[in-house]
Amino acid sequence: MRRNTVVLIAVLFILTVFAWAGWANWEYRRQESERLHADAARAELVPSATGTLQFHTPLMDKAAPAFALDDLSGKKVSLASYRGKALLINFWATWCGPCQVETPWLVELRNKYASQGFEVLGVDTEGDDLEPNDKAGWAKAETNASKFVTEMKVPYPVLLDGDSISREYGGLDDLPTSFFVDRNGKVVAAQVGLTSESDIEGNIEKALTQ
Amino acid sequence: MVMWSDKDDARCELRKRESSLVDVLKKRFAAAIAVLALAALTAQAQLVSPNAQSRPIVKTEAVQYLFPEQVRVAAGKASPVALHFRVAQGLHINSHTPKDSFLIPTTFSIPDGGGVKLDAAAYPAGTIISLAFDPKTTLSVYTGEFTIQARIVAAVGNHLMRGKLHYQACDQNQCLPPKTIDVPIDVIGK
Repeated sequence: MRRNTVVLIAVLFILTVFAWAGWANWEYRRQESERLHADAARAELVPSATGTLQFHTPLMDKAAPAFALDDLSGKKVSLASYRGKALLINFWATWCGPCQVETPWLVELRNKYASQGFEVLGVDTEGDDLEPNDKAGWAKAETNASKFVTEMKVPYPVLLDGDSISREYGGLDDLPTSFFVDRNGKVVAAQVGLTSESDIEGNIEKALTQ
Repeated sequence: MVMWSDKDDARCELRKRESSLVDVLKKRFAAAIAVLALAALTAQAQLVSPNAQSRPIVKTEAVQYLFPEQVRVAAGKASPVALHFRVAQGLHINSHTPKDSFLIPTTFSIPDGGGVKLDAAAYPAGTIISLAFDPKTTLSVYTGEFTIQARIVAAVGNHLMRGKLHYQACDQNQCLPPKTIDVPIDVIGK
């Protein structure tokens, strides 16, 4: 009887160890996969030939990661629906001063090049520090974005919850960050931080001609 | 007198073999458990290591809490505590009263339930600056070192207060996401 109990406990122990080792292995692989995925997409500042820091993203010359986000009216907007157009995907937030400076330039350039098949997609990353269950915080973020868009007379689609796609776009540690996408959906240029209206225009023309 | 037969020899031999077999099985069982335990420990080590290795570069916080680490206050009474912070070079954070309603003000708070309450906080006036990309617009910001004059009420005893500083930092051309850092102080209420 006693021997049977010992054997039973031993078998249960072995099974538990097997189950735990299996879970640990699965969890390790999952973490490693996530890490590799994040590292592969992470953008960074690298020294250029002139010695200044230049924005480098692994997304360059690759297809812009797909997404489908709600716009301010609650309509789902997907990147795929803009295939055939040159795009500027602009990650911004209302609390970002340089984004406020940049937005009128984007409005002006969008209106200038729209007839050539160009569009801007503003992606609001307002809720970076918000918990998913912080309903009041998310509501305030949406209100702020809506107010900002009205004040700035933004004519292009503004999408919400950009934080949910930030990892695919390299982490987005700094704002504003913009990706220029050609008519085939390929990233042809990217910039982080405020540059100049002429820099942005140059990248728009690059996206339109490639 | 007991007679020892061939049958008895055979039984004895059988028992010896059984005993030997049981010993071997016990050893193998113990070895299997040892191997399993080792495998489990290895898996655990692998599970922990990626987090340590995946972020080899630790980014400096935009704002660092400097001091005090410990304060003694009269229990039950609002007592002044000067909280010292430093903003990393090249960055600025909005003051408590930024000039634009979209900008996130710097705020200090103490979560409930730790034996220490925040009675009031007086923030320094921000430095007025304008940035190269937009000279017309002025901002009210903190740069370098700044001090928040807090008044706290502590219950009797030792409390590890974990205050929170919420801020949003930018440099000349770009902004970092809003962040909340811990302000840990050992508060002794006497």
